Amino acid sequence: MEDFPPAPDVAGTSLDGTAIFTISADENAALCKSTGVDPASDGTAHPIYYYIATQVAMGKTVAGVCETCEFDVGDGPMMGSSGVRFVQQLMVGQDYKVTGEILSLVRKRSRKLGVMDVLTYRLRLHPAEGGDAVLETDNVWVLPRKELAA
Amino acid sequence: MTAASTIKAGYSLPPFVIESVSPDAMRDWSVFLADPNPIHLDVEVVKGKGLGDKRINQGPINVAYMMNMLMAAFPGCRIESIDSRFLDNVYEGDRAVASGEVTAVEGNRVSCNLKLDVDGRGTVNAGTATIIF
Repeated sequence: MEDFPPAPDVAGTSLDGTAIFTISADENAALCKSTGVDPASDGTAHPIYYYIATQVAMGKTVAGVCETCEFDVGDGPMMGSSGVRFVQQLMVGQDYKVTGEILSLVRKRSRKLGVMDVLTYRLRLHPAEGGDAVLETDNVWVLPRKELAA
Repeated sequence: MTAASTIKAGYSLPPFVIESVSPDAMRDWSVFLADPNPIHLDVEVVKGKGLGDKRINQGPINVAYMMNMLMAAFPGCRIESIDSRFLDNVYEGDRAVASGEVTAVEGNRVSCNLKLDVDGRGTVNAGTATIIF
């Protein structure tokens, strides 16, 4: 029996967004340059936009996701892992929207962090005009629960 | 015969090197990500949180370095999937090297192991990817 309360029950919380995300040619070029490459000449965007577009256009901010998990973003959420499956390449100038949900929030004891919550959420990026997702991404964050560390 | 047939398991992918991780890029990414977390922008905040004495690169930039390595190794191909684990921070001024190795080739699909190393601290990000020819 663990000596700390369970994590908030947030599985299923919607992260559907209402914002439209468009990858501009100028921003794509700046992003590519910041990572040491030139932008593609065929209209495709850098694939790391899988992360950026879904984070920016999901239905909650990063701080909002943390708040849903009863965690203060100022306490330092950490990225644990990120995975993506692309159905199509991302295109400059295309409008996208996001659907998604929190999959789980699991409280664990950690040798390094004391007590932590492991948050897993799934986001999908769709053409704004509708249709199937062009990608699906699962992200895992670690939320250190300093207040519960014995 | 597919283009992938010239690639075999065990093939080492040419590394992609960032000679010095840039705090200017972190500032740009705080805008791209709409996330002005000060640990990426302000050394004093990093010190105050006991996280070291240099600004910390945003995690997705580290994934982008590995994607760049893949796109250079397989020009004209498409990343089908990538999974990565964040093992340690990357700091401003770090020399970061993304590298990988082919683990399997099936038809037009190539599977790879990936990693991002920084000088002096070893692997800070590791994962897998599949590429479609």
